[in-house]
Amino acid sequence: MPPLLSIGDFYGIDSIIEIMTFLVSFIVAYYSNKVYKIMKDPKYRLFSFGFLMIAISFLFKIIVNLTILHRIQIQETNFIITLAHLRNIDLISFFSNVLYKMFSLIGFLFLFFVETRTKSKEKMFLFLYLGILTIFLSIYFDFIFHLTLVIILFILITHFYENYNEFKSSNTFTVLAGFAIILISQIFFIFEATHPLSYLIGELLMLVGFCFLLVNQIKIKNEQKKNQARSSERHLGNIKKRQGR
Amino acid sequence: MKDILETLRKGRGAKITHLIYQANLSNNSIKPYIDNLIKNGLIKEVHEKDKRFFVLSEKGMEFLQEFDKIKTFSESYGLNEFF
Repeated sequence: MPPLLSIGDFYGIDSIIEIMTFLVSFIVAYYSNKVYKIMKDPKYRLFSFGFLMIAISFLFKIIVNLTILHRIQIQETNFIITLAHLRNIDLISFFSNVLYKMFSLIGFLFLFFVETRTKSKEKMFLFLYLGILTIFLSIYFDFIFHLTLVIILFILITHFYENYNEFKSSNTFTVLAGFAIILISQIFFIFEATHPLSYLIGELLMLVGFCFLLVNQIKIKNEQKKNQARSSERHLGNIKKRQGR
Repeated sequence: MKDILETLRKGRGAKITHLIYQANLSNNSIKPYIDNLIKNGLIKEVHEKDKRFFVLSEKGMEFLQEFDKIKTFSESYGLNEFF
């Protein structure tokens, strides 16, 4: 049985991509948490939590990439995976894969809650319950996980599109484009089991998508520097003018 | 409070009457805001030829810059109801 994901497939390129996506997600989570501390608005905390979960999920994905996960024959296990079927390395891979999916799905669900302004705890509980069911189902049918992410991302993109239409700024476009590319990457992942190249294309697209989010963060930082220089100049000018009177 | 700070950032300081007009507040209702901003070191009171002006402090300028950054971040992800 060929390995589903392994370092051998793409010589660890996927792990380098995962490190990059981890860093970008962590940067967004860190900044959102910083905003929460200033604004005390819980939506920034939820947003930060969502990106933090996504960041953690990529750490588990790296473990999956670095170990070899063998496909489990559903016919043999009769839909029940017993630990006896798995070797130690398989166990690490298997649980890392489950945790990767769990953290990733929870992360995107939290972004979904924030963007759709879902405040009802009952709704949140129901979505999280359905998310966990998806994760269990995706142990047997991997594409279910990616399909669920496609649906969540599609809803997120409709919100980012509305947001872009409202502000028409380069920042809103960067975020919209970033998430749209991440959505396309997930579509490629759906076919990874049948076409190994889909996996590589999906990984590369995901990297591009997260790079857009990184560009957005850099733009925010640079904009501040630009404003800072402009304001400092004006501020000094004002002081001089007042002193000259 | 942001309107007051923005007015001071745009101009070379301002009289209280100008701030009242820009912030759309009454003479009585603006006072607590002004006091708060002075107390937190975001603006300074300057006296010139018997006239009282308010100017933005360095701290106030830094505050506005951080505020702009948060605003851009919030706008880019559609989290901007506050602004």
